Amino acid sequence: MTATAVVAERAADTATRQDFGDVLRAEWIKLRSVRSTWWTLGSLVVLGAGLTIVMCWGNADWLASEGADESPGSFITWGMMIAQITAVVLGVLAVTNEYSTGMVRTTFAAVPRRSRVLLAKSLLVAGLLFVVGTATALIGYFGGNYFLDREGVGMALEGDVLRAMYGSGLYMAGLGLLSIAVGTLLRHTAGAITITIAVVFVISGMVALIPGDIGLFIERVMPGNAGSVIATPVTFNPNLLDAWPSFAIFAGEVAVLMAMAAVALRRRDA
Amino acid sequence: MIRAQALSKTFGDKTAVDAIDFTVKPGRVTGFLGPNGAGKSTTMRMILGLDAPTSGTVTVNGHRHLTSPAPLRSIGALIDAHAFHPGRSARDHLRWLAASNGIPTTRVGEVLELVGLESVAGQRAGRYSLGMGQRLGIAAALIGDPPVVVLDEPVNGLDPEGIRWVRALARRLAEEGRTVFVSSHLMSEMALTADHLIVIGRGQILADTSTEDFIATHAVSYVRVKSPARAEIGALLTRAGHEVEVVDNALHVQGIDPAAIGDLVHRHGLAVHELTLVRSSLEDAFMTLTADSVEYVSKTREEVAA
Ligand SMILES: Nc1ncnc2c1ncn2[C@@H]1O[C@H](COP(=O)(O)OP(=O)(O)OP(=O)(O)O)[C@@H](O)[C@H]1O
Ligand SMILES: [Mg+2]
Repeated sequence: MTATAVVAERAADTATRQDFGDVLRAEWIKLRSVRSTWWTLGSLVVLGAGLTIVMCWGNADWLASEGADESPGSFITWGMMIAQITAVVLGVLAVTNEYSTGMVRTTFAAVPRRSRVLLAKSLLVAGLLFVVGTATALIGYFGGNYFLDREGVGMALEGDVLRAMYGSGLYMAGLGLLSIAVGTLLRHTAGAITITIAVVFVISGMVALIPGDIGLFIERVMPGNAGSVIATPVTFNPNLLDAWPSFAIFAGEVAVLMAMAAVALRRRDA
Repeated sequence: MIRAQALSKTFGDKTAVDAIDFTVKPGRVTGFLGPNGAGKSTTMRMILGLDAPTSGTVTVNGHRHLTSPAPLRSIGALIDAHAFHPGRSARDHLRWLAASNGIPTTRVGEVLELVGLESVAGQRAGRYSLGMGQRLGIAAALIGDPPVVVLDEPVNGLDPEGIRWVRALARRLAEEGRTVFVSSHLMSEMALTADHLIVIGRGQILADTSTEDFIATHAVSYVRVKSPARAEIGALLTRAGHEVEVVDNALHVQGIDPAAIGDLVHRHGLAVHELTLVRSSLEDAFMTLTADSVEYVSKTREEVAA
């Protein structure tokens, strides 16, 4: 048998068939072998837990006073609202750093079924953000609640408070997925981060200025609004729907963007 | 084996690859030669399923790469010189590549050794020189021990030692029975490396021939003769059936060697001042062949003035 025949035969061996587990392992090595993953996750913990604790410390006596017109429940995950930026950066970079370096060609030559790459990145980023997001919310809770407790306005880790803990994880995971989708569509780091943050943060807040039922509807469905309700026991914004209906809207939006990203990924040249 | 059939690619209204057919066979190095913008990289990207052909097909050992069950074990490629994340080490880059195709991690050490990067494998790849980056790209291409290897301008940015190394590597891969497809815009480089040449210009195949035949057909030679008796000698040679051309104050004669001309002239008692065998280089041959298809022409001063 010639050398060619040997090599060709080996390639056809079904034991060497590429499966999704291979792609998942590869994407995991990629994700953990760049620094940006670790500094974005580190920032998530520091900002998310740290700012919550600082806000609870600074507002505890006011929240316990007669004049308080906000609930302590609105403060116990306060830091997550800032920390969400890091989830956006992590999700966007997971995709766009491949385009900015040209590595995407290596990736798609190695894994020609591109949707597998998108799925693997999505699972890993969402999983990481869920775990780290939930842990961050818990650290913030224990730190912040210490100060609230001292003023007699502490909360037990149950009901809506407990839901806001894993809700923070869910919201971070959802944001990560949204950012992966936007990164895939735009293929440009700065552009994707800017647009995602603008939509999630800035515009979600600004639409409250639109009057009437239309304004109320838009306010409720903006991803930054719909997604974040689940991450806090008591929302600052009384206009929004309840936690789970809001989150369902957000999940639907993420799913639509993800589908668009998958189609674009398939159609466009790498 | 790589096989392209009526393969085309257009970008907007620009045709980069124009219905080309070719076969790259195993066991030899096939050079893919063409001037800048000829369509070499586009063709290679289509082989790897990175760019979708506008029409036509290209297969690797009978399969489209997009549906390959074991992509890196079927074809390895160097497409972009720096197609890696600058913050990731060479070892991690190769590790994810190996993992993506279920290739044992031991192979990472093997290819690192093969390209001579073991000692720096833990460093961030962004610190690498152009040549080291190129070696990492080649290591990545070989990680799956593939029967088909595609290298787009592998010697770009390499020093003479590196160029010799790539040349020897390509030859060895071909001797092992693999299909080796190497692009370049340097004819002289390809003449030393390739057994077979596919020449492309403006997206069309201009030649598909063995390197030997290409040289025999295209590298012409002539004898330059300078003499005070230019007219007489010209007439003599023409009468003897040789092709004679007057260029400036010299004769360019084809189909006869300098010794024969010297003898002929001597027999007629004429004087010569110069008798030189001029061989046009392969580079000239390549330039002649692709002259009409060069896209980005740099004009000499005279041409600009004209
Ligand atoms: N993504 C793209 N969009 C638009 N035009 C493109 C694209 N890629 C290539 N082209 C055009 O297609 C033609 C062929 O380009 P290609 O890169 O394949 O040439 P090449 O033979 O590799 O040249 P070089 O020797 O310079 O690398 C060029 O005119 C180029 O401008
Ligand atoms: Mg090129």
